[in-house]
Amino acid sequence: MRAPNPDPETRKVNLFDPEVARCPQAVYTRMHTQCPVARARFTDSPVMSRYEDVIQALRNPALFSSEMELQMALGTERPMIPQQLDPPLQTRYRKLLDPHFSRRKMAALEPDMRGYANELIDRFIDNGACDFDPDFAIPLPCTVFLRLAGLPLEDLDLFLELKNGIIRPHLKTKSIDLEVNKNARVESGRQIYAYFERVVEDRTLRPRDDLMTQLVHAEIDGEKLSRNDILDICFLLLLAGLDTITATLGCNIAYLAANPQQRRRLVAKPELIPNAVEELLRWETPVTGVPRLAREDFSIGGIDVKAGELVTLLLGAADVDADEFDDATRVDFERARNRHLAFGGGPHRCLGSHLARMELRVAMEEWHKRIPEYAVAPGRQPRYSPGIREVLELPLVWPAP
Amino acid sequence: MACSVKLRLEGERCAGHGRCYELAPDVFGEDERGHCRLLREHVPAELQEQARLGVSNCPERAIEIESD
Repeated sequence: MRAPNPDPETRKVNLFDPEVARCPQAVYTRMHTQCPVARARFTDSPVMSRYEDVIQALRNPALFSSEMELQMALGTERPMIPQQLDPPLQTRYRKLLDPHFSRRKMAALEPDMRGYANELIDRFIDNGACDFDPDFAIPLPCTVFLRLAGLPLEDLDLFLELKNGIIRPHLKTKSIDLEVNKNARVESGRQIYAYFERVVEDRTLRPRDDLMTQLVHAEIDGEKLSRNDILDICFLLLLAGLDTITATLGCNIAYLAANPQQRRRLVAKPELIPNAVEELLRWETPVTGVPRLAREDFSIGGIDVKAGELVTLLLGAADVDADEFDDATRVDFERARNRHLAFGGGPHRCLGSHLARMELRVAMEEWHKRIPEYAVAPGRQPRYSPGIREVLELPLVWPAP
Repeated sequence: MACSVKLRLEGERCAGHGRCYELAPDVFGEDERGHCRLLREHVPAELQEQARLGVSNCPERAIEIESD
C-alpha cells in the first residue's frame, strides 16, 4: 500500500546526491513509498518514479512533449532529430531511420565485433590487469559505431572530445559556472556541425557504402533530406552512439566483480547471458531518467504540474517498482517477465536499442570466455556518477594466465 | 488447455522493442522497421509457452492472447 507523505520536505529528491550514485535502487524504492511523484531539489521540477506513470507518460507525447531543445541547451542550433521532435513529424524520421538500426541489420555487425573484442583483450590479458574504460569499454562500442556510420576510426579521439564537450563540458572548462559551460557546449556544437558539413559534402561527391551516404541520398515522401536535417540527425547519433554502451558495460562488469556468485553462474551457463543483459539493464538502468515538457497543467500523485515545466521520467526508478516486477530488488538472471524501460518506450524508444543489445551480449560473452575471474583492483572502490550512471574508474585485476 | 489460441496485435502500440521476436521467434517476426509482425494468428499448443513469453515481455502491451 502506498500512502503519499503529506510533508512537502519529504517530497523533495536530490538526484545528484552521492547516495543516488552509490545505491540508486534504495533511493528509488524509498521514493515509491514516500513520494512516487516528487520535486527535484534545486530545480523544483517534477520527478515521476512509478513504472505505470512513467510508461503512460512515455506513450503520451501530446501531454509529455520532447520539443525542448531550448530548455536543454545542449549546444544545438536546432532540435536533434528525431529525439527532440514529437509525432507526427518525429514518426516520419523514425520510419526512415529504424530500418538502418533493425535487429537484422545489427546482426551483420556481430562477427566483426567479436573479432575486435578479442583483439582488445589480447592486448592486456597477459598483464592480469586493465583499466576497463580506456582499454575495452570505450574502444569496443565506439569502433562498432564508427564502422556502421562510415566515419574514420582515426577521428575517434576528436569525436570523444566533441561528445564530452556537450555531455560533460565541466571536464574541459574545469568550471561549474553555467554560462561558461553553456558557451563551451555551443563551441563544441559548432565544431560538430562543421565536421558533419564536410562529411555530407564528401559523400555527395563520393558516395560510399555507409550510413552517412545513405542519409545524403535518403528521401521522405520523394523529397531528399535537407542539409540541416542530416546535420541534426548526425548530432544525435554522435551523442548517443559514443556514450551509453561504455557506461552500461562499466555498470555490468562492476556488478559482476562485486557479485562473484552471479558471475560464476554466467561463466558456467553462458546461455544465460542474453537474459542477464536484460536483467542488468533493468537493475542498473544507466540512462536513469529522460526529460519531457508538460504541455498542459495537470495533477499527478498529489503534485500540481504546470504547462511548460520540465518533468523527469525516472526510468531507473520505474525499473525497480515492486508493482511491476516480482521480487523487484533481487537481480535474477532467469527472470521470465521483464518489461524494463532502460531504452525508454513509446515513440521515442531508443533508436539504437538493437545495436546496444547486440553489443552488450557480444562484449559480455567474449569477455567472460577469456577472463572468467576478475575483481576490482585491491584498495580501489568503484565510484559511480549520477545522471548517466557510469563507473568513473574501473581498474580490474585477474589471475594472469 | 485449448488446442489453439488466438493472438491480437495492436500495431499502433508497438514501438519496435523487439522483445517478442527475440524471445518467441516461431510466433513473432519483424517488419522492415523492426516492429512486430504476427507469423501466425492461431498458435498451436506446442508454441503457446513461447507465445506467452513474448507477450509478457512487451513493454508497450501491444500483443494480447485471446482464447478461441
